[in-house]
Amino acid sequence: MKASARLVVSLDPHGNSVVRVLRSQSPLTLVPHRRAGPVALVHLVSSVTAPLGGDALELTVEVGPGAALDLRGVAATLMLPGPTGAPSSSLVRFTVEGSVRYLPEPTVVTGRAHHTSVVEAELDGHAQLRTREVLVLGRTGEAPGTLATTMRATRCGKPLLHQQLVVGGTAADASPAGLAGKRVVGTELLLDDVPRARDGGEWWSVVPLAAGGTLATAMGDDVVTVTNVLDAI
Amino acid sequence: MLTALILADSRFPGGGHVHSGGLEEAAARGLVVDEPSLRSFLHGRLLTAGLLAAGFAAAAARGEDLAVLDAELDARTPSPAQREASRAQGRGMLRAARRAWPSARLAALPAAPHQPLVIGVLVGEPYEAALTCAYLAVSGPASAAVRLLGLDPFGVNAIVARLEVEEVAARACEELPALGSPALDLLAEAHVRREGVRLFGS
Repeated sequence: MKASARLVVSLDPHGNSVVRVLRSQSPLTLVPHRRAGPVALVHLVSSVTAPLGGDALELTVEVGPGAALDLRGVAATLMLPGPTGAPSSSLVRFTVEGSVRYLPEPTVVTGRAHHTSVVEAELDGHAQLRTREVLVLGRTGEAPGTLATTMRATRCGKPLLHQQLVVGGTAADASPAGLAGKRVVGTELLLDDVPRARDGGEWWSVVPLAAGGTLATAMGDDVVTVTNVLDAI
Repeated sequence: MLTALILADSRFPGGGHVHSGGLEEAAARGLVVDEPSLRSFLHGRLLTAGLLAAGFAAAAARGEDLAVLDAELDARTPSPAQREASRAQGRGMLRAARRAWPSARLAALPAAPHQPLVIGVLVGEPYEAALTCAYLAVSGPASAAVRLLGLDPFGVNAIVARLEVEEVAARACEELPALGSPALDLLAEAHVRREGVRLFGS
């Protein structure tokens, strides 16, 4: 299944963030909330089981100057293999001149899944972005398939963060220099001008990025432990 | 080739011997205790941090813009402790290199450049630069393991010799990698916070 969806949010003269373009294509169904306010709330609903092997999904999001968007998931995503063994892919591209919070629910990389995920964000000088990714390596008792997930964020074309994480299929999952045998890995990226103290514990850290912004990372054996760390930022 | 050999030699006075690449913290936590766990650590480090560093060394050797590479490597190194370790080793290598191999491109590097960029500029041939960088990504932690854990040097050397350093160096020449290692980032940050005696700077 190939699908592309598009969402455009801009500020109206009354100071409300308004959804100007909303183009859903199954399984990428965008559900806006009918309430006027400074922040537009849209839920991203997977209206068909996705991603399956062979799927290519693309979501484009544009948020204009002064506008704010809260884009949320409603359920965990299960990455599943397709009938042919073909890989699946997803691309989410943000162009932000206002403010975006992108908070999907956790992603479970099931056995034999083979997926490539890319999130790209281009921010202008004052734009803000908060985005979270929580990966679960396999369902209970299941070894994960393979996933390569990439996040690239730039501000006015200059790189802020570019990280790829590859899980499954290599001995690096168990390595103390890879995923250290942890089942859940979460990151929260905050691109704004709020200074946050560098902090950390045994399996988590909050660090300032070189060119501005903050990254929180947590690893653990369950989703609750990891999301508790990310929620606290 | 001779430059690559000199840079990879543990007797090269670039100050690399004070960095363990996360091994000291991993050993302190009991994550690396013997040869099998060291092999796993080095394998994971080679496939993540090693590939990343080697890719940037290859790009610098190809003559790509050093300021752009510096910013791109910063963006791929979220942990400040890892950025500081890379730049400290770059500064140490640059100090020795300015005497041995002065050049205009070397002079164009900032005072504390990321180490892979220094290696790329000095070696000048992408695959050799990548190979040097990938090897240094595991040889430093391996020798640290001998010192910290009292492992058999022959056994540790055999582990290093069997790692797929050449394959990783070849892959590093294909495109600029962006592979991260969350565990290495967390180990590096925890190492900085650790109180008490530390033998290594990272």
